[in-house]
Amino acid sequence: MIESISKYLQQLESELKGCDRALIQDALSDAEEHLQTAVDKDLETAPGLSESEALPPLIERYGSPEETASAYREIESRISPGLASVRRQAEISPWRRFFGVLGEPRAWGAFFYMLLSGLTGMAYGLWAGFGFALSLISLIFIIGLPVSGLFLFSLRGVALIEGRVVEALLGVRMPRKPLFAHKGLTWKGKFKALVTESHTWKSFGYMVLQFPLGVVYFLLLLMLSSIALKCILFPFLKWFLHRPLLDLPHFALDVPWWGVPLISIGGIVLLSLILHMAKGIGSLHGRYAKSVLVRK
Amino acid sequence: MGYGIDANKKFQKELNSGTAALVLLSLLARAEEPMYGYQIAKRLESESGKLPMMKQGALYPVLRSMENSGLLASHVDPSISGPPRRYYHITAAGRDTLKSWKAIWDRTKTFVQVFLGGDHD
Repeated sequence: MIESISKYLQQLESELKGCDRALIQDALSDAEEHLQTAVDKDLETAPGLSESEALPPLIERYGSPEETASAYREIESRISPGLASVRRQAEISPWRRFFGVLGEPRAWGAFFYMLLSGLTGMAYGLWAGFGFALSLISLIFIIGLPVSGLFLFSLRGVALIEGRVVEALLGVRMPRKPLFAHKGLTWKGKFKALVTESHTWKSFGYMVLQFPLGVVYFLLLLMLSSIALKCILFPFLKWFLHRPLLDLPHFALDVPWWGVPLISIGGIVLLSLILHMAKGIGSLHGRYAKSVLVRK
Repeated sequence: MGYGIDANKKFQKELNSGTAALVLLSLLARAEEPMYGYQIAKRLESESGKLPMMKQGALYPVLRSMENSGLLASHVDPSISGPPRRYYHITAAGRDTLKSWKAIWDRTKTFVQVFLGGDHD
């Protein structure tokens, strides 16, 4: 017989072994939310009742860990996360596969993720650095522990937000709800869990590394995209604004009239290459984010 | 009689996999405000007269999959006593889908009843 919510969660987790880690986290948070609410309501109406007495009928209605795990497995096999629904690569000519990326939401998702990570990476890096320094300094004073606790807790929040961004733009399944520390823990216990759990420090490492990574993504994309955009718009620049292809202080490069459409086509090819690159980087980054930010 | 308890459970499960989404959509269409999982489960229990059609734990992945399809939307509110709660509400696309699904359900019900009706003879 299962006598506590944490025992139920442990069994549910072991039933879900081998499943997507984000699915496991979702299933655990759902079960914790439901069973905790149900136990609280029962204890309100019958104050003498203990958790171990209240739990069996609630689990009977909620489903055993085995039944719940099977429900999640079944539904998950029918859905695909976010933009990842666009997966129809086979039987398409190489020609269409190459240029088809221009209309692929997943590639554009990765493109915008890389652009956005210039901003988010900087914010994460600054927050991680500032928060860490503030926590260290404040440890001298009595306010040290609450400040450090809040900072470490904020890392979990940032990890969840980043996970949502990664899922929406990169199509990698990430946790949709935070998994909170069990209710029975004291403030000291919660703080200890925050400090000792590797998830906290992995999130911290991710935030720090996201700073240089985000800047590199952003600059790389900005540089390549501006070249591609200039090439695509070259006919307009040439014929309406009379601008050469390259216009440096002591050097100008122009092309004859028949070269103008070729430059424009070259721009479209370059943009396609950029999107393929973004898709590849997005896929790698998604896997990396999942391995670092998903708790179990 | 028939194939026994396991076969009955399997049949019930297969039926539920199609009807759970319809029931949840219909319940949330009637709800005056967003509801969280436990509230939804309790409402189903009270309105169905405690008919044990499906385990409450099986509702959550269905809710999430409907949110993924854009039929529902949700937001998370912190709770004072425990973990935060996810509140679900129906979207405009969800209401449109509910209309079509109701029509499909009515046709299916009529079709099945034509054959089951013979049992009473």
